[in-house]
Amino acid sequence: MRDIHILGGAMTRFGRHPGVLAPELAQQAILKAIDDAGVAKSDIQAVYCANVLGGMILGQLVIRDLGFNGIAVYNVENACASGATGVHLARHALLAQQYDTVLVFGIEQLTALGGGTIPLQRNDHKTELYAKAGMVLPAVYAMRGTRFLHERQATREDLAAIAVKNRHNGSLNEYAQQRSKTTVEEVLASRMIADPLTLLQCCPSQVDGAAAVVLSTRAAKTAKPVKVLSSVVVSGIREEARDDILDAEITARAARQAYEQAGAGPGDVDVVELHDAFTIAELLYYEALQLAPRGDAVALLRSGATQLGGRVPVNPSGGLLAKGHPLGATGVAQMVEIMWHLQGRAGARQVLGARIGLTQCTGGGIAGVDHAASSVHLLGV
Amino acid sequence: MQELAYPLWSTAPVPTLLASRDCANGELVFPALPEASPLSAAHETVSIDGAGEVYSYTVIHPGSKSGESPYALGYVDLPGPVRLFGRLLGNDRPVIGRRYAAQPDERFGYVFVAVDTPSVT
Repeated sequence: MRDIHILGGAMTRFGRHPGVLAPELAQQAILKAIDDAGVAKSDIQAVYCANVLGGMILGQLVIRDLGFNGIAVYNVENACASGATGVHLARHALLAQQYDTVLVFGIEQLTALGGGTIPLQRNDHKTELYAKAGMVLPAVYAMRGTRFLHERQATREDLAAIAVKNRHNGSLNEYAQQRSKTTVEEVLASRMIADPLTLLQCCPSQVDGAAAVVLSTRAAKTAKPVKVLSSVVVSGIREEARDDILDAEITARAARQAYEQAGAGPGDVDVVELHDAFTIAELLYYEALQLAPRGDAVALLRSGATQLGGRVPVNPSGGLLAKGHPLGATGVAQMVEIMWHLQGRAGARQVLGARIGLTQCTGGGIAGVDHAASSVHLLGV
Repeated sequence: MQELAYPLWSTAPVPTLLASRDCANGELVFPALPEASPLSAAHETVSIDGAGEVYSYTVIHPGSKSGESPYALGYVDLPGPVRLFGRLLGNDRPVIGRRYAAQPDERFGYVFVAVDTPSVT
């Protein structure tokens, strides 16, 4: 199989960008990524645009004035996994030798929606019925949190510690929306949203951002060219009557496939960017990604292994909790972050000596499945 | 509650929630499949026992601007087996394992009420 490389990447600061429309925001990331990759715009043979709520043909809108001369534009939507799915599809095309070099970007402007919870996709009877009763993603994660506290030797302070860790990391990241550190006490004292999740345990809903990468069948002319070791996208399997809501089945399945495809195991991973939309999610994904054995997520957290400087730092960018979660951009931004770490370009939050990194996005609110989509990628130098 | 494309409650004197049972493997699907579903021919509509135990729950605290009071949501494991999501009424705070039973509700179609509390109308 051909090697697929990330030639370069870039992202905008995640946060509020009042008065900036999608083309201007996405173009900032695109032009920096192309420059970072050391290619000319004429080298780009196709464009993949990941977005969830920005409307139709957004990709064409974004690149209209960039001089790409009518090359193919593919608009990709897969909820929170949209950006990762864009990279996955681009890799398919490169492996199939349809193209040699392509651009993938993700863009989302959630501030345009006015804030609040992202609504579920209600175009089916079950989701409509459950959404009417109050099902939203914070409620789904909160019920996982309640069950987690019930079954495990875990406390509310453990949940809060995830927010403290990731906000600390975000304080070191100039691209993060939340730059201030916090404490367990502050996290637990913030407004209750969906018990046991308080406000500081939920990723910010008022955030805009864009990220872009250039993928190619050839390696970058740098000392540390980044290779895509594996790329997996899976969809949710219909829940059964007595499913365990703590097993994060869709994510565990994606991770198993990604490790197998890469010929690597969880012990080989040096740095992780995972989908901490809520604090409980990070704990569940420790186990789904096999960073901890089943039942040991809290022990892993308390050991300090997932902090910066630990054995396998998780969310050095600040994660979704601190960096923000502009849906379509998130998956691509995770890969930019990992690329920076693998190449020693991550500044104050650098994970020293990282050679393999993992990204994970899981999301999409529809009733009757764990989640709609999950994507896991392994990148390496 | 607006008219639904699928039967939610039976028309029996004491109504029961309805689901679709897969004729091949017996698995229950809730809510019942609508008549227009191409899968409905392979299913039969059956009544389900609406009383079971809370598997997990949350209490939602709406923002002050909404004017709404906190409310409880949860998964209830029913015989069948089948797991339903819905509003939990009758206690300030649900408890995992506590028994709740489904009741018709004009706004949500059904709600779960703690079995040791008075009927909610």
